[in-house]
Amino acid sequence: MTDAVRTHGLFKRYGQQVAVAGVDLVVPAGSFAGLVGPNGAGKTTTLSMITGLLRPDGGSAEVDGFHVWRDPVEVKARIGVLPEGLRLFERLSGRELLLYAGRLRGIPKSEVEQRASELLAVMDLAGAADKLVVDYSTGMRKKIGLAAALLHNPSVLFLDEPFEGVDPVSANTLTEVLQRFTASGSTVIFSSHVMDLVERLCDWVSVMSAGHIVAQGPLEDVRGGRSLNQAFLDLVGGSAQGREAGLTWLGAKAKETP
Amino acid sequence: MSPLSHVNTVVLFARLKLRLMAGNLRGDLQRKLGFIFTLVMATGLAALGFFLMSLLRLAPPDIASSLVIVAFAFFLFAWMIVPLLAFGLDDTLDPAKLSLFPLRTRTLAVGMFTASVTGVWPAAMLIVTFGALIALPANAGGVLLGVPAVLLQFALCVVTSRLITTSLSSALRTRRGRDVLAVAALLVVVLAQLPNLVMNRNLGDPEAMLHQMAALLRWTPPGMAAHAIADGGLIGLAELSFLALLVVALGWLWIKALSRALITPDVSTQAASVRRETGLVDRILPDGPLAAIVTKELKYIRREPRFRVGWFSAVVVTLVLSFSLSGSAEGPPGQGQPIVIATVGALMIALQSGNTFGIDGRSLWMNAVTFGSERSLAGDLAGRHLANALVAVPLLAVIAVGAGLFAGHPGAILPAMLAAWGALGIGLGVGAVTSVVLPYSVPERMNAFSGAAPGQGGQAFASSIGAMLGITLLALPFVVPIVLGFVWVCVVAPFYGLLAEVLGRRLAARIGFARMPELVGAVSKAS
Repeated sequence: MTDAVRTHGLFKRYGQQVAVAGVDLVVPAGSFAGLVGPNGAGKTTTLSMITGLLRPDGGSAEVDGFHVWRDPVEVKARIGVLPEGLRLFERLSGRELLLYAGRLRGIPKSEVEQRASELLAVMDLAGAADKLVVDYSTGMRKKIGLAAALLHNPSVLFLDEPFEGVDPVSANTLTEVLQRFTASGSTVIFSSHVMDLVERLCDWVSVMSAGHIVAQGPLEDVRGGRSLNQAFLDLVGGSAQGREAGLTWLGAKAKETP
Repeated sequence: MSPLSHVNTVVLFARLKLRLMAGNLRGDLQRKLGFIFTLVMATGLAALGFFLMSLLRLAPPDIASSLVIVAFAFFLFAWMIVPLLAFGLDDTLDPAKLSLFPLRTRTLAVGMFTASVTGVWPAAMLIVTFGALIALPANAGGVLLGVPAVLLQFALCVVTSRLITTSLSSALRTRRGRDVLAVAALLVVVLAQLPNLVMNRNLGDPEAMLHQMAALLRWTPPGMAAHAIADGGLIGLAELSFLALLVVALGWLWIKALSRALITPDVSTQAASVRRETGLVDRILPDGPLAAIVTKELKYIRREPRFRVGWFSAVVVTLVLSFSLSGSAEGPPGQGQPIVIATVGALMIALQSGNTFGIDGRSLWMNAVTFGSERSLAGDLAGRHLANALVAVPLLAVIAVGAGLFAGHPGAILPAMLAAWGALGIGLGVGAVTSVVLPYSVPERMNAFSGAAPGQGGQAFASSIGAMLGITLLALPFVVPIVLGFVWVCVVAPFYGLLAEVLGRRLAARIGFARMPELVGAVSKAS
């Protein structure tokens, strides 16, 4: 089996701070992969460098065997991206945004129109299709962003925190679409820190901490009999030490003693 | 915990404001330099204003009092509109940020008042206002009344400005409200040009005009404050009492508005649907990325307030320029004038494309993850230029016709039109290069005082100066001969412009594609 994504010593620093310190990320093709790690572990930076949105200071990245920075045409035709925090073209309506995204990739207009209508229907956005994206809620934004990323049928989909701030109904829609997508042999890589979700959806997990990959492999191997949450806490070192001291004033009992 | 006393509140909020100002500067050299620049400017303006005000002592008393009345009224007006246009510059302005703290409305009002008078510009303002104390008093009573008069005028400015921002704050937090306000910023540009136009037109005797204006403003609250200082007697005292009552009343209204603003939820913008596209562009252009980009750009010109502001101001500046050109020249305007006006119009329109990715800002990644080659970026630029030209070409034709008829030289219309189209092409070509070499973020919240994200002011300045110089240099080869009388050169201008556009676009695509990630980063700065 070839790897959908493979990086070698990917490295990025901002001034003094090293954000990503030599990441060797591997994701087999056809897997539903989760990239997990605490805030500031370098997940977003890593995904940005693999998708060509951020220039790495060192190392290399390959998607479907093509070098991201040397073969941009091949790579960009194969990937779909939903970054976190970045915006969509807000002054277009949802439908116009999909039309723009599809036609920008050279798909004929009639074809894009058909795909867009189907995606809008599946994402439950048909009613809001002609409203401006600037007036969308967070959940609607994630859904229209995912629709735009899927429009050209990519073989690898990169999603940065796709479930952040999304209501359970929309999240369910998102997961259903993604599961159908991976069932057909395509690859999904998403970052998250909701362990339950990763445990439920993923068959491959990469754990990042402080700019490094600390564990990587099939879900069962990484979990090692524990819950993924426990495995994660053991790996990144979130111990209970130091939390016992202090905070004596906090809580209902503390009020009794002034 | 005991409620804060007023003195404590004042100290607390003054310190909060100073902390916020200091925190804004931490770690960012460009912001520090910007703040030092502001500080120098404010100190200089305060000293200059105070000096000019006090110089009025030497002027005849009636002129001095008229001038101060007008100045006080102008200050109040400025306090009323400037914070609206700069909404978002000051973290303490938005009461919603403090609404979760257990503060009484009165405490909050005192605190917000303190926060808004703590700062560089309010201090400078107070100093300038105190200049009137030297300029006006005719007797000891005037000096005695002067101090409260100046303080009341200052308080009036602050309270009125707060009242306005607070009562509009819920509207300002909706998208539609901000969109409207962004375009309203243009009014200031126009208003700022009014005195200039009036001076150029030589409408009557300036002294008579001054007195007329002062007579009109004399009975407004700021006029009363100024008059009270000059008067120094019982009438002055009565005026000040009225002013004090007014300040208290406005303050009361402000507290009411504040408590209302704190319990009224954000009105979520009623999202309106947009019409499905009619596909006009698709009828002209072949299906593909180019058509998609032109369609999107035309929609943005229509829907994005920053685009609307850009286009409106380009037209307004051209109009203002043509009025001042025709006003200042002796005798009938020359034949070159319509040509100059239309070319400047083209320059103004083309300058908007000098940072063409800036308005896309944080959404530019959508293009970046799609473009795999130089050609696709060149296609993007071509689409943007085409959309711009679809609006600009007819608009410039109208400007040329208008300028030609206005100057009484119908024969100059055609050369003016052709020259303007040529200049537009050059502008787009040069703009494409500056867009990729010196990209910067355009803030989402427009305010009338800054066109770039914090810390990128220098880049924005260099970009527009560079674009202006480049366009002017490249346009000289045909503008100079035309103005000198070799009118036939204008036939070449559109072709020359097109050539410049094509070469500029190719060069820009080559530079831009190589630094696409940096480009996306530069236009995605938080603002």
